[in-house]
Amino acid sequence: MNDTRTVFDGITRDNTVLSALMVISPVIVCGNTLKNAVAMIYAFSAITFFSVMISSFVPKRLPYAVKITIYAVISSLIYIPVRLLAQEFYPDSISRIGIYYPLLAVNSLIVFQTEAKFFRMKKLRMTASLFFYIAGFDIVMLITGIVREFLAYGTINSRMTDFDTLISGLAEPFGGFIFLGLFCGIYRRIRSAVMQSRDIRSDGNVSDK
Amino acid sequence: MFLINDLIMFLAADLVLMQALGTSTLFIAAGSKKNLVGTAVVITVFTTAGSAAAYIIDSLLPEKYSVLTLLFYTVTVGILYLILLSALYFISRDKFERSRKYVHVSAFNCAVMGTLFTVSGKAAQNSSMMNVGRYALAGFEAGLGFVLAALILTAAYRRLSSAKVPASFRGSPAMLIYIGIISMAVYSLR
Repeated sequence: MNDTRTVFDGITRDNTVLSALMVISPVIVCGNTLKNAVAMIYAFSAITFFSVMISSFVPKRLPYAVKITIYAVISSLIYIPVRLLAQEFYPDSISRIGIYYPLLAVNSLIVFQTEAKFFRMKKLRMTASLFFYIAGFDIVMLITGIVREFLAYGTINSRMTDFDTLISGLAEPFGGFIFLGLFCGIYRRIRSAVMQSRDIRSDGNVSDK
Repeated sequence: MFLINDLIMFLAADLVLMQALGTSTLFIAAGSKKNLVGTAVVITVFTTAGSAAAYIIDSLLPEKYSVLTLLFYTVTVGILYLILLSALYFISRDKFERSRKYVHVSAFNCAVMGTLFTVSGKAAQNSSMMNVGRYALAGFEAGLGFVLAALILTAAYRRLSSAKVPASFRGSPAMLIYIGIISMAVYSLR
């Protein structure tokens, strides 16, 4: 069987949130407005990218548990400047997001996927793949923030719209669970339809030969 | 009646149902009885011991350096992680082999780190919580909350993963919706 993995898998086939179910707590709880979503995207992208890149220099010979602890400590150190900058750029969102901001620093993409996935790749491919895994989270967070804010508050980026059939529960964590469950199901349906059509096309190519 | 009120209060404080902390680990725990016991025990050990250690950090770290809290919590959980693995290794190699995956999954987990921050936040609002016993108790309760949420999910796990559920929603999407409905019920009872 051919290995059809690409660097884009983090967005399409193996989405960080919708497929791997990683980093779902911030999406469920904080992804209820666009402003929160943007603040989370900034923090997640900066912390994850720099943490994984720096962690890639940690000696591979160390025991697994020691390496995991070092990765978590590195991301906690990266969190400090990211947090200080966020206080300048997103002061309102920081207080609303609360404990979910520091929790981004110990996300599964940094702590576990580094060993299981990224550090098995060559540096250039790892950087590209990491970029798309981060983008996978960012896209889901952005869509979730826009849709939930629109349906729950009738606003987009705090600007009023004409939409007046509001589902206020979507702004709550239980609404986040249900929304993410539906989002995951739709994503899987689309993904399987795309993969089926690809298979049919590749079968057709083979029979043509 | 008191028991029901206590149960509702306990559910309303549940970190998984109300704050979505440790949801992906919950799916692992609910997969089998063995996973449930292993993950629940290890997470409860981490939340209890971690919360006790968080008390020391909170009492010693000056307010103006609060941005360093995460770093100290991470170092603390890292030390607990290494101690627990070493203890298992020296107690019995067999136990180490069987249990280490639960330790790996539980250590740097939103449920554990989230508990430390939640307990610390509660103590900041209520000074009567500012002692090591109350911190450890709150951590232990958070661990029990995880067990309760895992039991609720275990009850429906097989059905939500069965062939009767449409393929796109089978497994984790259906479980997320199920937890959402339970969470909505608890939210309405608060």
